[in-house]
Amino acid sequence: MIKIWGFVVLVLFIAASCTKNNSEADGEKVLYISTPAKVKGFDPNEASDLYSGNEVARVYEGLLQFHYLKRPYTLAPNLAEAMPTVSTDGLTYTFKLKKGVLFHDNACFPQGKGREMTSADVVYSIKRLADPKLQSKGWWLVDGKIAGLNDWREKNADAELVDYEAEIPGVKAIDSHTVQFKLTKPFPQFLYALAMPFTSVVPKEAVEKYGAEFLNNPVGTGPFTTETYTQSNKIVYTKNPKYRDEFYPSEGEEGDEAKGLLKDKGKKLPLVDKLVVSIITEEQTRWLNFLKGKLDTMSIPAEQFNQVIIPGKGLAEDFTKKGIRAEKKVGLDVTYNAFNHEHKLFKNNLKLRQAMSAAYDRDKINKNFFYGISVPAQSIVPPNIAGHIEGFKGPYQNLDLEKAKKLLAEAGYPNGKGLPEITYHYKYDTKARQMTEMFQQMMSKIGIKIKPMGVTWPELMKLVNTKQTMMFGMAWGADYPDAENFLQLLYSPNQAPGSNGSNFHDPEFDKMYEKASVMGDTPERTALYEKMYKYAAEKTPLIFGFHRVGYGLLHSWLKNFKFTEFTHGISKYYDIDMKTKSENIEKL
Amino acid sequence: MSQKETKSLWAEALQRILKDKVATLSLVIVVIYALIALLVSLGLVAGDWATAAGPENMAPNGDFWLGTDFLGRNVFKKVIYGTQVAMSVGLVSSLIAIPIGISLGAVAGYFGGIVDEAVVWFYTTFSSIPTIMLLISISFILGKGINSVYIALGLTSWVHLCRLVRGEVIKHKNRDYVQAVTAIGGGHTKKLFRHILPNIFHIVIINASLQFQVAIKSEVILSYLGLGVQDVPSWGKMIDDAKQELIQGHWWQLAGATIAMFIIVLAFNILGDALRDALDPKLKGKDA
Repeated sequence: MIKIWGFVVLVLFIAASCTKNNSEADGEKVLYISTPAKVKGFDPNEASDLYSGNEVARVYEGLLQFHYLKRPYTLAPNLAEAMPTVSTDGLTYTFKLKKGVLFHDNACFPQGKGREMTSADVVYSIKRLADPKLQSKGWWLVDGKIAGLNDWREKNADAELVDYEAEIPGVKAIDSHTVQFKLTKPFPQFLYALAMPFTSVVPKEAVEKYGAEFLNNPVGTGPFTTETYTQSNKIVYTKNPKYRDEFYPSEGEEGDEAKGLLKDKGKKLPLVDKLVVSIITEEQTRWLNFLKGKLDTMSIPAEQFNQVIIPGKGLAEDFTKKGIRAEKKVGLDVTYNAFNHEHKLFKNNLKLRQAMSAAYDRDKINKNFFYGISVPAQSIVPPNIAGHIEGFKGPYQNLDLEKAKKLLAEAGYPNGKGLPEITYHYKYDTKARQMTEMFQQMMSKIGIKIKPMGVTWPELMKLVNTKQTMMFGMAWGADYPDAENFLQLLYSPNQAPGSNGSNFHDPEFDKMYEKASVMGDTPERTALYEKMYKYAAEKTPLIFGFHRVGYGLLHSWLKNFKFTEFTHGISKYYDIDMKTKSENIEKL
Repeated sequence: MSQKETKSLWAEALQRILKDKVATLSLVIVVIYALIALLVSLGLVAGDWATAAGPENMAPNGDFWLGTDFLGRNVFKKVIYGTQVAMSVGLVSSLIAIPIGISLGAVAGYFGGIVDEAVVWFYTTFSSIPTIMLLISISFILGKGINSVYIALGLTSWVHLCRLVRGEVIKHKNRDYVQAVTAIGGGHTKKLFRHILPNIFHIVIINASLQFQVAIKSEVILSYLGLGVQDVPSWGKMIDDAKQELIQGHWWQLAGATIAMFIIVLAFNILGDALRDALDPKLKGKDA
């Protein structure tokens, strides 16, 4: 008996010491961050939401990326050697690729050794985005824009096997390290598209080996690698040992030098050895983890706001003495309560939509859930990009119960009489439910009955994509810093399963959009954007909510943190000061 | 003769419960909760829970016994409305589970052989699926709302009763009184439903009272997880709200919901025990 007991103790002891060695190896830099939503997997084709896109971009890379430090947001080469040469007619883009970029070592390659990434892979990945069998969530990005791509998609729609060998005039490998794109019409935002996770470069071998499981078997060129993904609450990435020579930027925005953001200039990326992403859906849980130093950074939860940020003074002393810093986050996004315009209740029912929008008390929601610091949206384009009109007051975007009641009566439902109960779907979490209950209460004031339905994120996406909702709650974050990216949410060819989940259809708006979308960055385009901004406020296709403003908190040991709207791929710039961490974590 | 005996069993059971003060109190509590639920269902009380009755997040006071929530709604009314949700879930899910449990258990026990094997196989397999997973998947299939909660809880909670009934029926089916029925030409249906079932019905009663509180607790958990009722108050949702409110010092939603739940669950547990003692034929005629 004693013997066995001793044996057990010994085994436990060995096991314990092993785990310790594995996770806390000497001086190993581990970055701990969190994401608030379930990740759909690692297929760039499916990376339509911010959270999945973030994970994809740790493993995969595209031709371009956003410069980490420069503002306004500027593109920089990623897998491309330099920015492309563009023909004078604005239709042909020629990219030179970096040499010696290797895919991650993976069983899909001969001997498990990752081979060099070439122009053929870029062409393959763009074709894959257009593959009719895959129904990529990112198809809208290139739909009708690359010469011959739509033809290829249509031709293969009924084919048993999609023919990836066929040449497409619009995307060609000139030689092993040169790719040429030919566009059907000028599309000034095309380069932004090449900085999005959708256009990441994937190796054919992995797609063919893993098939449907490719989603869970990431094989990219990126700074981090990870094992087969299982739907768990934690994703652990390790530094890609064969990562190409990519260096921390040596120039940035004014003031970056003073903030210490350029201390690591010229250092080889990534700067951390390991990256742990925890999927924590509850804000409260994330917060407690952050306070314990188990997460290196997070946004301040609304409930905590007045304990954390003292008006006029900034971060409270409780936090500053622990070395915690605060960074303001002015996002490029818009939240909205969407109508499904395909539903018979809302189709062409302008007055009803306007009535509901006018009954929506944005200030109250702002005060309760955004601590009064977010910007109530008057239309669809957020501040800080051309097309947003500062100081514009939307006709139906500010609380006016009398007007709302009048509009509702004009719509044929005096005091809500004759109006059916409206089902409202939203991604369930406690805060979203409370926000929805508040929305429900606001609508009840003019006699409209709302039936809230909390569902999971994938469920919500499915309902929206199959047009099965009446109303739903959603937000849109910029893919690239251009109003076009917000206006396309209302463009009718982008209807579900595209990004126009509300299925808004307005020929007038479509015409303006088509005109603006091929224009270069000129004052005329800005004027047209502004016209569309006002038009969207008038037609109330959605109940516009907020452009969110928040604060990010970071621990003393997290280095090189700079707020960016384009979070894809930024984890390679972060660094951990191990000395500060070991000193300060005791104080928490 | 036998009918008179049975009657006196129930009468005696009631007598015994009334002798036990704690059990009586529990019975009274259950009746009060049931009454509240009934009144809410009829729209006589707490129908206006959704309106903002006062300022937001007000601490308990003379006007609002349990304060108000973040929308200025009266928390006391939400607790009352939550009672209706909880009690109706307990009742309806029991009404679904009990017939399934009785019929499958009775048939299996009575006929034995292949029928028995099939039923036993079915419920063993069924009960090896973790209940909460099953609840979640059923509510995914049926969509959200109180009806799916009824069905989900009803469909997942019959196994225990089924086992008990099967065992009892096996015990009873060869007893003298059943053989007597066979001798005078009674068929299977008559034997099973007219004679055996009434003799084992006390088990159903005891089980129902315990089942009731399990259903109430499950509803709270489901609603807490966002899988339960959607647009009416529930104790689970109130506890969910409290997660974020406690840190701001707003304890009253949590207090209201948990106390209401604690009392009814405790009452059902005590009552279940008392019923077991009172209805156990072996204890009949003896002092408890």
